[in-house]
Amino acid sequence: MRNFEFFEPTTVEEASSLLAQYNGKARLLAGGTDLIIGMKARTEMPEYVISLENIPGLDGITYDEGSGLRVGAMTKMRALETDAIIRDRYTALAEGAAEVGSIQIRHLATLGGNIGHASPAADAAAALLVLDAQVQIGSADGQRTVPIDALFTGPGTTVLEPGEIITAFEFPPRPANSGSQYLKQKIREVMDLAFVGVASAVTLNDGAVENTRIGLAAVAPTPIRATEAEGIINRYHPVTKEILEQAAEAASAQSRPISDLRCSAEYRRQIVGVLTRRTVQTAINRAQS
Amino acid sequence: MSEYSVLGKKLPRVDGLEKVTGAAQYGADIHRAGMLYGKLVRSKHPHAKILSIDTSEAEKLPGVRAIVTQNDVESGRRVFATDKVLYLGEPIAAVAATDPDIAEEAAELVRIDYEVLPVVQDVMQSIQPTAPRLHSDDTKDGPTRRTIKAQLKKLQDDESQDHSAEIAELNAQLGILEDELYYNISAETHSAIGDVEAGFAESDLVVEDTYVIPRVHQTYMEPHVSVADVDSIGKITVWASTQGPFAIRSGIAGTLGIPLNRINVIPTTMGGGFGGRFGVALTHVPAVLLSQKTGRPVKLQMTREEEFLDGRPAPGCVIKLKTGVTADGRILVRQALGFWDSGSVSGASIGSTIRVRGVYKIPNLKVDAYGVYTNKSGTAAYRAPGTPQVAFAGESQLDEIARQLGIDPVEFRLKNLREEGDLIPGGGQRGGSNEPKVGYKETLQAVADAVDWKNRTKGPNQGWGVAIGDWTNGCGPGGMYVSVHEDGSVRIFHGSMDITGTDTALAQIVAEILTVPYEQVTITRGDTDSAPYATGSGGSVVTFTMGNTAKLAAEDTCQRILELAAERLNTGLENLELKDGKVSVLAQDSPRSISLGELAAYSLSTTGGPIVGKGSFARQPSTPALAAQIAKIEVDPEAGRIKVLKMVSSQDVGFAINPMAVEGQIEGGTVQGYAWATMEEMQYDENGNVNPGFVDYRVPTSADLPTVESVIVEVEAPNGPFGAKGVGEPPIIPTLAAMANAVADAVGVRVTELPMKPERVLDALSRK
Ligand SMILES: Cc1cc2nc3c(=O)[nH]c(=O)nc-3n(C[C@H](O)[C@H](O)[C@H](O)COP(=O)(O)OP(=O)(O)OC[C@H]3O[C@@H](n4cnc5c(N)ncnc54)[C@H](O)[C@@H]3O)c2cc1C
Repeated sequence: MRNFEFFEPTTVEEASSLLAQYNGKARLLAGGTDLIIGMKARTEMPEYVISLENIPGLDGITYDEGSGLRVGAMTKMRALETDAIIRDRYTALAEGAAEVGSIQIRHLATLGGNIGHASPAADAAAALLVLDAQVQIGSADGQRTVPIDALFTGPGTTVLEPGEIITAFEFPPRPANSGSQYLKQKIREVMDLAFVGVASAVTLNDGAVENTRIGLAAVAPTPIRATEAEGIINRYHPVTKEILEQAAEAASAQSRPISDLRCSAEYRRQIVGVLTRRTVQTAINRAQS
Repeated sequence: MSEYSVLGKKLPRVDGLEKVTGAAQYGADIHRAGMLYGKLVRSKHPHAKILSIDTSEAEKLPGVRAIVTQNDVESGRRVFATDKVLYLGEPIAAVAATDPDIAEEAAELVRIDYEVLPVVQDVMQSIQPTAPRLHSDDTKDGPTRRTIKAQLKKLQDDESQDHSAEIAELNAQLGILEDELYYNISAETHSAIGDVEAGFAESDLVVEDTYVIPRVHQTYMEPHVSVADVDSIGKITVWASTQGPFAIRSGIAGTLGIPLNRINVIPTTMGGGFGGRFGVALTHVPAVLLSQKTGRPVKLQMTREEEFLDGRPAPGCVIKLKTGVTADGRILVRQALGFWDSGSVSGASIGSTIRVRGVYKIPNLKVDAYGVYTNKSGTAAYRAPGTPQVAFAGESQLDEIARQLGIDPVEFRLKNLREEGDLIPGGGQRGGSNEPKVGYKETLQAVADAVDWKNRTKGPNQGWGVAIGDWTNGCGPGGMYVSVHEDGSVRIFHGSMDITGTDTALAQIVAEILTVPYEQVTITRGDTDSAPYATGSGGSVVTFTMGNTAKLAAEDTCQRILELAAERLNTGLENLELKDGKVSVLAQDSPRSISLGELAAYSLSTTGGPIVGKGSFARQPSTPALAAQIAKIEVDPEAGRIKVLKMVSSQDVGFAINPMAVEGQIEGGTVQGYAWATMEEMQYDENGNVNPGFVDYRVPTSADLPTVESVIVEVEAPNGPFGAKGVGEPPIIPTLAAMANAVADAVGVRVTELPMKPERVLDALSRK
């Protein structure tokens, strides 16, 4: 690992100023489970590392029936997967978090890091897409909000400007008749990266499925929504096997996977269909129960 | 085994406490004052000419103390690449610096100019005339050409008749068989028993398949590491994490042309080996060269990535296998043609191809196997080297045959098993020897009984698979001392490396014979300067060899104890009995006895001196070891993933000296076999190894498998200590096939290429 200078600011403003000052040469450090790996492999060689650890208020989960869920950027995956409200109402997020690495990793890994790293395969990303997350971004100049759909610009890149830091994720309230699920295709039960990840969320209105969201991970340069498939589920009622099959095909068609050493693009596309079918069905079942 | 008080018991490991408390000193824990850190400069291409090596920039980096290349190897033996590199990560130079980061940076600064050459990674491509040549343009004949050439020679040698027409005909055939001229062959082996042509002609069913098994890494927890310290008079000390310190000593001596008595190898606790931790080349020799040049201790430690690039993993192979059987299920004949990927050097386990014979009576057998060069690192042993690959082919095909014949796969195997007294084929025309008593039937029956095979049930997409495989219980030389101290405690002194419980078994053997509590026996492992010679810890040899050595040493100790007691108690040896840690006079009105401690104290002032027993052993015929397994699995037919529902593994261990340690071996080997079957695979393309890390080289975790159920079968091994035989290697052998057979039973398709990744399973299903 290259030597670097280490900062431990105590406010977002201070961190932001440092990040802006050393733009391009500095990296934010959250749990370090992506960054340190990169530094050891020399794919990341920051001269300055800015820890977010000592900034109060970045960690924590708050929930309010009226305003919804707020998750601080420094919240650990382990906290997300074990939180009762998230498991109940934002199930796909708990499941996405629970898919990250191992329990040890999840005690370090943060939601902000998972999203800030902007890997197309990030396990929490698909859940954020289907749960309509709003990304709170802070800097020395103030605060702004970006919907999760508009955050990612490519593998490892986001709309964050120099000096900007993700501070929190906000989610609208979810009614009791809603349900969601995240499924990950992998070979190894734990400690495997997603070959494909699919999250689905639905709300039921008088038995009709509404507000369907389907998020896909690891099948495009960024995590994406399968909007065609969402439309199919919303349009038809009841959601029969045939409808699910149509939606699965639409999601496959909308995915843009690559072939790599892990598997072929064709396989990924096929799995998008399988997992779309399964997650939409489970989301509906969960909304009903 | 109630006749013993220490043997056959599930006793805790002698090294357990130091390992769980972190006190054990592994290679990476060694630190010496003034120590430098080494780093190897590695090839960035899998096949290239080296045009120039320029170390000047690296030398200027502050903190760099030395850079060595092949020019520093006075013996001339090849340590570093000079003119050509044959795989990605091949060492070209080594750097020593005051800090590991500086060493890493310096290694990057060594400038090497390459002329990139075409790359070949696939064995079936490498044998083609169109493939780039790695070593020379030489060719080898395939099996048919070999047969024709042998016929030709016979005809040509026969001067009694004119064979010119036949000779012309055979020559023409040779011409047609151009595609049986193999290139890039590193080694070959051929053997035949009986008459395979006749065997196939007689068969009612002949099945032929091609099996492809990937190269896998031993993935021991601790990467290779050595610390070398060459003192001012040139004496070399190397702290090495190795399975065979004596082999490392002779390896360094041979490579650098230094006498054995000027090299001391101090073995550290070993973080796993599985056969991959014998080699001298990876870190030991470069560390010595750097220490020689700097006069300071040098630590050279590989990263996990370097392990994948430059380790010596298990070879992958392609096995073409053909088997003929009678309609009632007797195996008549088997023929195998194997191509083993030996990487850039020769040495893949090609000899293991003969194990297509398995545990069966097969009267006609022909095996031709070739090692094939590719642009990969060389290979080494991995738990029953070569045999899991061969058993995958052999046992998959038998399963397919059983299915086609409509015979139960367990029944089919039972029907064909070797039996005591059978003539062991092999040894060419020598006639061979007779099959000893081995628990072939017992082991297979035990695993079948454990799952209630006949009454097994399964749900949709679920399947059962069975497989069995055998292995040779190796043996080798070893020596040992045992001494008894004044408080009656006992110390074993030897030079064999503990691999997963072997020291524990030795302590149990000595405790049993000396009739002392197990806790009273401790072990000191010497280094190569101080310990008696011991064979390397591999090939399932340790318990067999060192166990026998321990038995001899303990018996020798007993002899001295009884002599002392006779002297002390003033009676004849024949009146004495050693029991419960004391010697008593038999058949006496007033019982008299003396403890081992008292005897040890007494010995110090005798003419004969302290109690020291010695044992030395080299070889005795051993009997095959074997394992049988049954897996129950479920396939996700839409996504292709395999889930194991049940895994039972039985093994003929002769006698379980420590059943807990034996179960540990069975579980570990089975899990490694499962991993090979389902996920492990070193992947290569024209850029070299593309998955050099645990992200994309997957080894399973405890979440992937249910607990492996072990079934210990004990059919006494004639020359083993207390009837024990080696247990380390067999449990990995049948698992690959058991898994594939279970998949075939579950979804009706046979996967002949490993690992059975979800995508491959779906592919197979789509061809159904
Ligand atoms: C063994 C192992 C297994 C893993 N398995 C998985 C897996 O299964 N699924 C998965 O998705 N990931 C996995 N990961 C990756 C990693 O754990 C996750 O992406 C994790 O959530 C990253 O969070 P972190 O806090 O450790 O981020 P860090 O490594 O600290 O940071 C990651 C990146 O995000 C940036 N960043 C961090 N916080 C912020 C912020 N508040 N605002 C803006 N940018 C920020 C950093 O500058 C850095 O570039 C694994 C990692 C390891 C080591």
